[in-house]
Amino acid sequence: MAHAAGVDVGSTQTKAVIVDEQGRVTGRALTDTGANVMQAAEKAYAIALEASGLEEREVEWVIGTGYGRYRVTFGNAQVTEISCHGRGAVHLFPGSRTVVDMGGQDTKAIRVSETGEIVDFCMNDKCAAGTGRFLGAAAAALDIPLNDLGNVALSSEKPVRISTTCTVFAESEVLSWLGKGKKIEDILWGVHTSIASRSGSLLRRVGIEEEVTFTGGVSRNPAMVEALEQRLGKKLNYSEDSHYIGALGAALFALDHIRASRIPPAGAAAAHKEASP
Amino acid sequence: MNDRQEDSLVGRGNRDGAELFRDWFESLNDTAERGESAAYVFVMGSFNEILKAFDMPVVFPEINSLQTAVRRVAHEFLDEAEDYGYSPDICGYVKADVAVQLRGGEHPMGRIPKPSLAVYTNACNTYIKWAEIWQRMYDIPIFTLDVPGTRQAGGQTWPGERRFEADRRYVEAQIRELIGVCEQVTGNKLDIDKLRQTMGYANEMSSGWARVLELNRSHPSIFNALTDGTIFLGVANGLRGTEAGARYFRELVEEMEHKAARGIGTLTEEQHRLVFVGVPCYPIFRRFNELFTEWGGTFVSSTYLWFASGGTNRGYQYDLAKPIESLAEGLLLFVRDAMDSMFHQYAMVRDMVEEFAIDGVVFHPIKSCRTVSTGLADSRRALMDDIGIPSLFIESDMMDRRVVSEAQIKNRVDAFFEGLISRQQHSAPIAGTPAQSGSVEEVV
Amino acid sequence: MTTLDDWRDRPLDEVLALCRDTVEDPDYPTVRRWRELGGKVVGHFQVYSPQEIVHAAGMLPLKVRGAPVEPDQADSRFGSYLCSILKTSLELVLSERVELDMFLSHPICDAARNLAAIWGRNFPYPCQILYLPQNANSQYSVTYLRDEYDRLKESVEEVAGRRVSDDDLRRSIALYNDNRRLMRELYELKRETPWLVSAEDGYCLVALGGMIPVEEHNELMRAVLPMLRSRTAKPQDRVRVVFEGAFCEQPPLDLVRMVGRSCYIVDDDFLIGLRFILEDVASDGDPLHNLAHAYLETSSYSPVQHDNRKLKEEMLLDRIERSGAEAAIVGAAKMCEPGLEEQVAYIQALDKTGMPYFVNEFEENMTSFSQLELQVETFVENLLFG
Repeated sequence: MAHAAGVDVGSTQTKAVIVDEQGRVTGRALTDTGANVMQAAEKAYAIALEASGLEEREVEWVIGTGYGRYRVTFGNAQVTEISCHGRGAVHLFPGSRTVVDMGGQDTKAIRVSETGEIVDFCMNDKCAAGTGRFLGAAAAALDIPLNDLGNVALSSEKPVRISTTCTVFAESEVLSWLGKGKKIEDILWGVHTSIASRSGSLLRRVGIEEEVTFTGGVSRNPAMVEALEQRLGKKLNYSEDSHYIGALGAALFALDHIRASRIPPAGAAAAHKEASP
Repeated sequence: MNDRQEDSLVGRGNRDGAELFRDWFESLNDTAERGESAAYVFVMGSFNEILKAFDMPVVFPEINSLQTAVRRVAHEFLDEAEDYGYSPDICGYVKADVAVQLRGGEHPMGRIPKPSLAVYTNACNTYIKWAEIWQRMYDIPIFTLDVPGTRQAGGQTWPGERRFEADRRYVEAQIRELIGVCEQVTGNKLDIDKLRQTMGYANEMSSGWARVLELNRSHPSIFNALTDGTIFLGVANGLRGTEAGARYFRELVEEMEHKAARGIGTLTEEQHRLVFVGVPCYPIFRRFNELFTEWGGTFVSSTYLWFASGGTNRGYQYDLAKPIESLAEGLLLFVRDAMDSMFHQYAMVRDMVEEFAIDGVVFHPIKSCRTVSTGLADSRRALMDDIGIPSLFIESDMMDRRVVSEAQIKNRVDAFFEGLISRQQHSAPIAGTPAQSGSVEEVV
Repeated sequence: MTTLDDWRDRPLDEVLALCRDTVEDPDYPTVRRWRELGGKVVGHFQVYSPQEIVHAAGMLPLKVRGAPVEPDQADSRFGSYLCSILKTSLELVLSERVELDMFLSHPICDAARNLAAIWGRNFPYPCQILYLPQNANSQYSVTYLRDEYDRLKESVEEVAGRRVSDDDLRRSIALYNDNRRLMRELYELKRETPWLVSAEDGYCLVALGGMIPVEEHNELMRAVLPMLRSRTAKPQDRVRVVFEGAFCEQPPLDLVRMVGRSCYIVDDDFLIGLRFILEDVASDGDPLHNLAHAYLETSSYSPVQHDNRKLKEEMLLDRIERSGAEAAIVGAAKMCEPGLEEQVAYIQALDKTGMPYFVNEFEENMTSFSQLELQVETFVENLLFG
């Protein structure tokens, strides 16, 4: 039985997902990316293989994605994380037509078709405005573990208005509110709503459809889910496993390739680029 | 391939264009070395017709500035201007020029003469602020030739109409005033026959330019609007109103008609026909284009070729029997058109999609130029709402490497083509059984 | 029509508080009231606009000058490297805080010149650029501008659904002449006895002029000015400064307030467009010609109005001298191309004369001023005790 794999090399974490011929997940892995990107990809892939009980040769096609996709040296092809997130999100939530992916580096707004094709996308530019990085900087300034950030923020009663989402100024902005005697939770909720506002604008750019799916590491932060839901005025799809969605999408693209190669010539040219030998 | 190599016509425009361009810079260098000065002008309404009639050498500071980026030394110039006091957030062209002036005209392509006069239209407001800098540095006359633009989308007026004629009279009055300033600066009276001659050359260039752009409807496209087009543009600006410029465009039309008739395209195997909207990314000029050609994408047109040639792409022809009146009418029409290409290009792009068989539109707003960039996000929104054509939106700069991230651009270009291709293959099988639970694990 | 809450017979402090609240309310209650009473509104973007023409057609000219709001919807219509006022101005209409019947902009800068096109793609009403001449030195520019005003008048008539006669225009010009005189009186007060009117109150009294009918504004100013003059406040130990750089995007009121705590702002370019014409506009003859002539010949200056007769740095030095200021605060809105460019010339001129100055960048919706205040206070201390 043929298998396909996707390896998503992100700025902070590397994820691998292996699927069988029916597109069912047989194994997955998550590891810190660290300084050696190539090694991280290999490690994640090895763990996923082990979890699937598979040998490397049993996987017919591997697609790398994420910012380090060209460092997945054992991969057969690369697809951008934008395409993979769109694809993975529609797979998990078939009704998804708009996807917001919020990671450490950047935020992406993606509009997808019912088959998971990218109709349009937009990303924030040049700075960490409206991304997880800003949350991290705020958490550091307030000396709160990143994982607790959301829950603390949710207890806010009188949110402050944060005007900057520039990471460079996150600390001084946060500290100046502390200096004015504002409560930590009120500052944090202000941080969340400010980021949600930026992301909302990004989403508007591609169009906010009926069903919106929230992916990426930050989607596991309950306050960010709440802030975005308030901002968009609708419930969002999100999943505990949302950080795997990019790798899942990559694995599904790999599976497309396997299937296409078996029914030539229709669709023989896949949407991704072959890796150079 | 062999035919192409043997064909001496093919590639002549690029070769000759590059040579003319070098010659022009050399002559400017000689002017500077002789201690003589030049008229400073801009691409959106250069007045070469008038200035050449006075035999004034012309300097295009915009072109000098972009050359520092192409030659990968822009950052040195930007740093110098920022040290002098200019903000990182203003136009990179202005800053590179300030640095060139502070260095006494020293530039990677030779020495730039000092200005004797600066003349510019209002097509870009920063032209005015820029000229004010030279006014302070050199105490030279600066002349804003104000060209009223389109007042409301779709509300353009035309020759013979009352409102158009009111605008034309204003432009004509200013042209006469400008001629007075030129007479003062050079000490020579205007020779009206010489003006007719430069306007005649400009006529030939305009009609040739319009023809070249129109010929790119061919399949495959015969030139890359982003790369080849920029070479043509350089000649269209720098040599406007000269015999050499007129000959160049005559020959360019010949080459392009030849290519179109024989189906000779660019080097790219054309799979996706694109329009470029914005200003090129000069700091990674070649690489930027490759990110598209690697996917078989070719730029068949570019709004840059429209506005940065001052709207001469429409091929307006002067009536040499009444040069001043006609110059005013032409200037009003084509500079207005250049402005429309920046503010109202959405309708223009929409209207060419079918004719040029466009598959996608690439919007490239840049930090440096708010004139061109401010409306592009909304333009894109309107275009997508209107005809749903795939489009890509990437922001960078034409000068400042600090805001150009090649990896980020590549990521978006790749995703754009992935989407473009997958939509072209609607019949391709989609793997995977959709899960309902939203959990990766439960799919097992 | 009255659009403000009733302020008559109320004490000065209450009237000023009402002014502040109205100016700071991003929902523009006066405009809302005007519309409820059946009035039409023409929004005119910064800097100068001939409000007389709109007023003569019976409509309310509304100064569109951004607002300290989050551009939730407008952000998606713009790119990254832009000033805030463009976005928040569009936000005001996209979010329906303000409804317009016509939008007017002017070719003031590269960014703002895109605004009419953007606005027009989002709203069905006329969205125009009024092409104020940028060659103020042409012999023909007054004639041209007169024709351009005539063109505007036709568009305005269409929106208003009525004709505008020369007499209508003359009446409006007379009312705005009154308004200009009252504004000059306010600035005289700021200059001569700055302890009688705080920086923020001075600001709000001007700003109101851009959002209520001129008749109402004149009445308010006629009542408030004598009350301000009869205050008993004493002069304090503050530095007299000129605030320069607010010709378009406005610093948040909190910033003005903050500066006012340690400085007397004795002159400035806050909302300069509302005070752009310096003298009475002639009331006899062709009113459109008179308005055009006034714009070109008897007007103030700003970085976005080019005129070889008005070198901006010389104009600034003149403003400082005339107001008896001891220092200048030279601001620029973030991402404001003309403002940031002019700043360089201003600074060089101030350096040459040895006039102390403090340079800063601001944004209308900034909320944190602690760093800025620290710097301003240090600057002031240096002047007072240095």
